[in-house]
Amino acid sequence: MAEGTGRGERLSIWFFVGMLTLVYGAVLAPYGAWEWFGNHEAPTVLNNLHPTFWWGCLMLVFGLFYTLKFRPSKD
Amino acid sequence: MLPAAALMFTTQLTTLAPVDILILVLYFALVIFIGFYVKGATNTSEEFFLAGREMSAWVAGLSFVSANLGSLELMGWAGAAYQYGILAMHWYWIGAIPAMLFLGIVMMPFYYISKTHSVPGYLQLRFGEGARGLAAASFALMTILMSGVNMYAMALVMKVILGWNISFSIWVGAITVAVYVMLGGLRSAIINEVLQFVLIWAGAALIPILGLIEAGGWTKLKAQIAVNVGSNDYTHLWTTLGHFKDNPMGVHWTGIVFGLGFVVSFGYWTTDFLVVQRVLSANNLRAAKMAPVIGAAFKMAVPFIVIVPGLLALAVLKNPDGSVMHLVGENAVNAAHPYSYNEVLPLMLIRYCGPGLLGLGITALVAGFMSGMAGNVSAFSTVWTYDIYGAFINKKASDKHYVFMGRLSTVLGMFVSILTAYLVANAASIMDYVQALFSFFIAPLFGTVVLGMLWKRATKAGGFWGLLAGTLSSIAMFFYTSYGGQKALALIALSTDARPMAETLYRALWSWLICVGVTIVVSYCTKPIPEAQLAGLVYGATTIPDDGARGLFQKPIFWAIVVITVFFILNLIFF
Repeated sequence: MAEGTGRGERLSIWFFVGMLTLVYGAVLAPYGAWEWFGNHEAPTVLNNLHPTFWWGCLMLVFGLFYTLKFRPSKD
Repeated sequence: MLPAAALMFTTQLTTLAPVDILILVLYFALVIFIGFYVKGATNTSEEFFLAGREMSAWVAGLSFVSANLGSLELMGWAGAAYQYGILAMHWYWIGAIPAMLFLGIVMMPFYYISKTHSVPGYLQLRFGEGARGLAAASFALMTILMSGVNMYAMALVMKVILGWNISFSIWVGAITVAVYVMLGGLRSAIINEVLQFVLIWAGAALIPILGLIEAGGWTKLKAQIAVNVGSNDYTHLWTTLGHFKDNPMGVHWTGIVFGLGFVVSFGYWTTDFLVVQRVLSANNLRAAKMAPVIGAAFKMAVPFIVIVPGLLALAVLKNPDGSVMHLVGENAVNAAHPYSYNEVLPLMLIRYCGPGLLGLGITALVAGFMSGMAGNVSAFSTVWTYDIYGAFINKKASDKHYVFMGRLSTVLGMFVSILTAYLVANAASIMDYVQALFSFFIAPLFGTVVLGMLWKRATKAGGFWGLLAGTLSSIAMFFYTSYGGQKALALIALSTDARPMAETLYRALWSWLICVGVTIVVSYCTKPIPEAQLAGLVYGATTIPDDGARGLFQKPIFWAIVVITVFFILNLIFF
């Protein structure tokens, strides 16, 4: 049974968590890379640490793990 | 809690880039999709109002803690941390953890095995229709008004941070929440609360991480705060609580321990149906006991994204000329001091987060506001349908009719919330009164429920009159201190040095004592309830069923001991 979404449903609540963070990571990581390597960093404090890129990568990994682990099964 | 009217801003802080808007739109698309997706599994009243009682301990636990993690709370307490220092942490630790564990280990078995649908429903089983009617009517009124306050606060924050039109924010937020709660009921609300919990961390955790890097670590942060404010009092949890005068909050340790740590927090976490409803959705007794324990573990970590940013702001915020920036109270905002305490979180977000991350932070705030509205509306529709409509208006309707009434009351409740939001937009002081409503009912309600669960001799008349007396005394004390000035405050808080924050804590303590006292006296004057009628409702008259835990690591009590041990260690570290 997919956890949290009701008996008979296929998509688990954790799958939604994974999808949301995966998609956000997929938006943030490339955008952060464009900022970093294209010298388009926003004028924020500590922008030399490239937080958008690294945070995006972290969300991508987290999202990928949850999406794969809780992907809907065939049965 | 903090006055919501204080969330007034002065100038538009920033604008969103296309990537920020994309992140926000993706969130809205997902929550609407979830509403339609779970509608198919939301046909019976148990599915609509209690999510089919099939949530695991983790889902119920995260939803339980998330229901209290609204944006109003986040922004308000970050501001309080700036204003009062680390003392604000008490509202997350002693003001939550012991009560959450008590709910899980002691009270949850009674809520769960009585198979009640709501807290007023438990009162009906234990104390009869009078206590249920009083609790249900007050709760329904509070939640629907609170939903409107959340709605207006969101619109106001979006207007000032981003320059959005107030009506646009109100209607977009309200329609989105109404659609997904009407379709999926509590299940939709819970899924969105879990998503919101993840989003809040994703959107806000970078602020303390980057802030601590900028400040040079915790030790250097404390030293810088001491230099900037000229006092060491802002970074100690307990050492300044010996006297009202010794700390920025103007409270005494007795108020924190007994008023906040016992009455206010136990009242909120164990009897406010908004949070208890999340745990009632658990799929078995062990999950119901574990959910608050899991929630408590996560609750202990929340100050990292709420209190730490407030403290960091004391150390790192600077004016353009390099001098230390001083945030002020709402009434003191002027050209020299353009920002108030309550703008701490947005200011820190903008400090560290550029396009993309800013969108994530704003989406987390919007998610927090919307989940706050959804929590209020779903709890309202449950109490309205079961404890008012089903109890007093139409007792014999079919299950299908009650589900229809649940959906209808969700939509109607949302319209009342919208009206409240516009009302508040025209008279901001209404927000403070709406929030004060909570403090009238919560402490006495805890007295009634805890006596009902733990004392067999408590009678129906005792429960009703105790609840009524406690509530009326709280209202009387509120107006006495509101209009009686410092003299009235000194009488209620037992010190001429007490400040307004102490009033809430001592008023809760007195109203709880009055409720308990009246319940005991009236109970002894009335005929006891036969013990056979108390089975499943009261400690001593109930055989608690085995929760199915096998082995130490499955036992909720083991994890509760782990959590309370960490709680004590954290208090000692920041003593």
